[in-house]
Amino acid sequence: MINILSRALMMSTPLLYGSIAEVYAERTGMMVTAIEGIFLMGAWGGFVGAYLSGSLFLGIIVAILAGIITAVSYAWITVYLKQHQVVTGVAINILAVGICSFFMRVIFGVPIIPLTVEPLATIPIPILSQIPVIGPVFFNQNILTYLMYLIIPTAYFILYKTSIGLIIRSTGENPVAVDVAGLTVERIRFIVVLIAGAMGGIAGAFYSIGYIGMFTTNIIGGRGWIAFAICFLGNWNPLGALIGALVFGLAEAIGIYMQSSGGGFFPNELFIALPYILTIVLTITRKSFNVPAQLGVPYKKEN
Amino acid sequence: MNEKLRDLIITDFLAIVLGLTVSALILLFLDKNPVESFGILFSSIISDKYTFAEIFVKATPLIFTALAFAFAFKANLFNIGAQGQFYIGSLIAVSSSLFLQGKMPSGIALVIVFLLTVIGGGIWGSFIGFAKAKFKANEFLVSMMSTYVALAIMNYLLRTVLIETKAEYPQTNPLDTSMWLPTFIPGTRLHIGFLIAVIVAIAVWILLYKTTLGYRIRVVGRNSEAARLAGISSKRLYIIAFLISGSLAAMAGFTEVNGVQHMLLQGFNPDIGSAGIGIAILANANPIGIIFASILFGALKVGGTIMGQMSGIPSSIIELMQGFVMVFVILSYFVRSQLEIRREKRKLRKVVEE
Amino acid sequence: MNKPFFELKNITKYFSKVIANNNVSFSINKGEVLALLGENGAGKSTIMKILYGLYEADSGDIFMEGVKQKINSPKDAMSLGITMIQQHFSLVPAHTVTENIILGNVKGRIDWKAYENEIGELANKYGFEIDPKALVKDLPVGLQQKVEILKALHLKTKLLIMDEPTAVLTPQEAENLMEFVREFTSSGNSVIFITHKLKEVMEVADRIIVMRSGEIHGDLKCADTDEIELSRLMIGRDINPPARIEADSEADSSEIRLQIDGISVVENDNISRLNNVSFNIRRGEIFGIAGVSGNGQQDICEVIIGALTPSSGKILLDGEDITNSSIREIIEKGIGYVPADRHRDGMIMDMTLAENMMLKDSFGEKWLKNKFIDNNKLKNYTNSIIKEYEVKAPGAEANAKGLSGGNQQKVIVAREVNNGSKLIIFNQPTRGLDLGAINHVHKTIFKERAKGKSILLISTELSEIFGLSDRIAVIYKGMIQGIYNRSELTTEKIGLLMAGYTDDKEV
Repeated sequence: MINILSRALMMSTPLLYGSIAEVYAERTGMMVTAIEGIFLMGAWGGFVGAYLSGSLFLGIIVAILAGIITAVSYAWITVYLKQHQVVTGVAINILAVGICSFFMRVIFGVPIIPLTVEPLATIPIPILSQIPVIGPVFFNQNILTYLMYLIIPTAYFILYKTSIGLIIRSTGENPVAVDVAGLTVERIRFIVVLIAGAMGGIAGAFYSIGYIGMFTTNIIGGRGWIAFAICFLGNWNPLGALIGALVFGLAEAIGIYMQSSGGGFFPNELFIALPYILTIVLTITRKSFNVPAQLGVPYKKEN
Repeated sequence: MNEKLRDLIITDFLAIVLGLTVSALILLFLDKNPVESFGILFSSIISDKYTFAEIFVKATPLIFTALAFAFAFKANLFNIGAQGQFYIGSLIAVSSSLFLQGKMPSGIALVIVFLLTVIGGGIWGSFIGFAKAKFKANEFLVSMMSTYVALAIMNYLLRTVLIETKAEYPQTNPLDTSMWLPTFIPGTRLHIGFLIAVIVAIAVWILLYKTTLGYRIRVVGRNSEAARLAGISSKRLYIIAFLISGSLAAMAGFTEVNGVQHMLLQGFNPDIGSAGIGIAILANANPIGIIFASILFGALKVGGTIMGQMSGIPSSIIELMQGFVMVFVILSYFVRSQLEIRREKRKLRKVVEE
Repeated sequence: MNKPFFELKNITKYFSKVIANNNVSFSINKGEVLALLGENGAGKSTIMKILYGLYEADSGDIFMEGVKQKINSPKDAMSLGITMIQQHFSLVPAHTVTENIILGNVKGRIDWKAYENEIGELANKYGFEIDPKALVKDLPVGLQQKVEILKALHLKTKLLIMDEPTAVLTPQEAENLMEFVREFTSSGNSVIFITHKLKEVMEVADRIIVMRSGEIHGDLKCADTDEIELSRLMIGRDINPPARIEADSEADSSEIRLQIDGISVVENDNISRLNNVSFNIRRGEIFGIAGVSGNGQQDICEVIIGALTPSSGKILLDGEDITNSSIREIIEKGIGYVPADRHRDGMIMDMTLAENMMLKDSFGEKWLKNKFIDNNKLKNYTNSIIKEYEVKAPGAEANAKGLSGGNQQKVIVAREVNNGSKLIIFNQPTRGLDLGAINHVHKTIFKERAKGKSILLISTELSEIFGLSDRIAVIYKGMIQGIYNRSELTTEKIGLLMAGYTDDKEV
């Protein structure tokens, strides 16, 4: 049981990075539909960086850069060239698959045995990890999960208590107000998507070097979209995203547990599909949406 | 209008050329000569009949999934779930074929299989439309997620009830040759599924532009508020649009199972859904344009595979080419709108200065 | 003599479809109220958006007290003391008054309490009754404008630009605004006022710049001119509004076509949008509804056309109960509707004019041949409409969005005149149109009345209401304040009614 909870928290970590990134971007009116590709590039960059340098830290840096590059391409096309966000995301996602698998080949050739790196170690925090139940669940995780403990309150604080947060929230609701206040809508959106790309890159790296130490092109398998969905379901609020990510992390942990324990009465495909079914059910039943009014709409001035 | 069409053709052509050029240059990372590699690509796909016909074989399912995206797109709906609808179609096609084969003349059996596939895909798709109409659910997310659910269902069935008799791999028994879609060019795999795809594309065009149902779908897609005040219920049309969209994607299941693979196995055509979206974008969601864009993507697929076999280039070159072509096509949308704005401005200055 | 506060020199600006400003030059002095007068589309807003840094001029210079300035963004403008209030307010509806006012003007961590107090005090100082914690979307339009003004005051603005500020106000609220303008300028600040209303100009401005087709056609002292001269400069020719055509004397006694009987619309949270609205329209009558926008006009239209179900009350068309008929049934019964927001409600901008023509009868057989759409028939019909209504368009295959507002409106009017064989509802039919198009719409309304059709005219322009209506109702907060014959009302009286004051006299 403690195992499952600990696992759930671990599995919700990348989802939370991704969904908080998405919350911020969508608050400025930008759906980051390239999130699946950003995750994938992050996973790939993290693995390649870690494998070649032998340092997981450098791996994460490379993952961040890969995420940023992907996000910046997306943002350039959607923010400055004003092209359709869904359509552009689809293209970037396909390209990300191509680039990852092609450059895997360029860098590593055709390896005979699967390449692996030693994944991020869990760091038990002295004393705290000794607390029954809470200790092993919360204080025996890897560094990225601990970092997440800081990111959640920070993300909330910035969004609601600072001038930057006010600007971000206003941009998604009414970019004209932001423009008239003398701020550049495009620049705000571009920068926020760039930051979202960095966080998405970390999320992706979590899947490759966070706990299994491997990379395959289907490693993300729709988790980017789950993070995207969590942003919706969490009502565009970092705390809502936290709840959403925990629910999905739990579903995934149970799925992994059921798979490894043979599944029993229910087929293990049911548990694999569980997060996706959950998304559909929640999307349908979710009531009062707090959608940013200009979500997905490019900001165009007459000229 | 003429200038616009000219812009469209020129920029689309340039986008394709640029996309392929960038992909070719990337081959330098593998120390391959891009000119030589692409030379092999082009010469080999036209060198023999079989390979050339393969282009159209590969294009067939893409026409369907692209139509599925484009049709919903006309109603301003995002059906990102064509892949899942294709899986559902494949499941129905294979199971009904296995059930019906030998029980009736193959012509009748194939028609029934086709109809069942279309209906099944339509029902699966219309759930998404229903969720949108009834609960205002985000169809983008629901359709996206429905693909993963369909995949799980397919994997489960392939592992259990549909598994081959010797129960070794998660795949079905092969179909009787009587359930194969006939080929129409001897010595190739080109089956009548391609003709069906072309006919369906034309039918979709007629539906959209020549019937009042299609008109209403486009009206709702462009401006649902004006549609409402004109007595057009968007809710009903959302369901209809997804029903048709789902059945279009499912048709790909029929042509792939009965026309090409003659069985169903795990990991079946995993990327035709997203390629379909790219094709629909390339074709500006025009059903007739989709036929040609699908043939292009079919050619990239065949060419990419040959490159992989002949010169040790990884088959991921296909995704690279597709991805780069799509990105450049999106950029060409931007270039076209800039060209148009500039043209208008020039005209205006002329008028003012006169 | 002192250098002017701000001076614009030879500003030219092209848009993709129109030349917005052609070699425009003028100046404003400290303590001055300058009116920028012109028709819709004359380029008034554009030149001000250039001064405010929202648009970039293709050529020309801006000087402040004789020193050349580069204004590339509103930030630059604000640092020079310029603020502009847009015609469509640029507020974030989902945010509070405080959030809106401090947006972009604070740094770092926000002490909400302190700012709320500061803004509360500022509001008090100017006598604005605004709760700094209220959400903007909950405020009536008049107060939203005050939020915009507070925003400017909070920035310590020296030059305040207001784009059509009275369009959304009652005559009394407008009077209050004028008082504020006088007070604000008395301390050396300047105000530029963009408007097309002559009366306002004469009342408040010190100096008047008249613009037409992107060019300046007059720079006059208020004291040296009059409304007749201004209107001639503004329009460029003598004004001849369509002569008022009186209704057939029989109309008075003729049968009732539309009867609205005690209609109320109550929302879930018990806010009533329409409250016991009753009136009737006779055959061959133009029935006008006056009122400040947002007082239930849209709801009246939607109730009649079947888009909104009333909570109580009845609607009869020629004696037949149509209260619960669907939109489609109402269309088939011969009620046409020209909506106020043509972009949202009346047209499909990305479709051709021909396709727009069949918007309301996509269920009928009218445009079908062998079950398929008969494109030739539709095209020919559309071309005949283009000719008859003098629509400036390349042809039936042109996209609707390529047309000017006036020409788009003509297409909608043509379609609805055709649909509305019994009753045509015109909701704000001339908003944003130039005079030529306005005259055309007005002529059409008279023409259709002459055919015996009934007209429901809803407008916030009092001149339009007085010029066309046979009888006039005034609406305020979803209630009919009274129904009058045209001759019984004066501007002053209607202004009071629009602001919610009633008397008991009714026809």
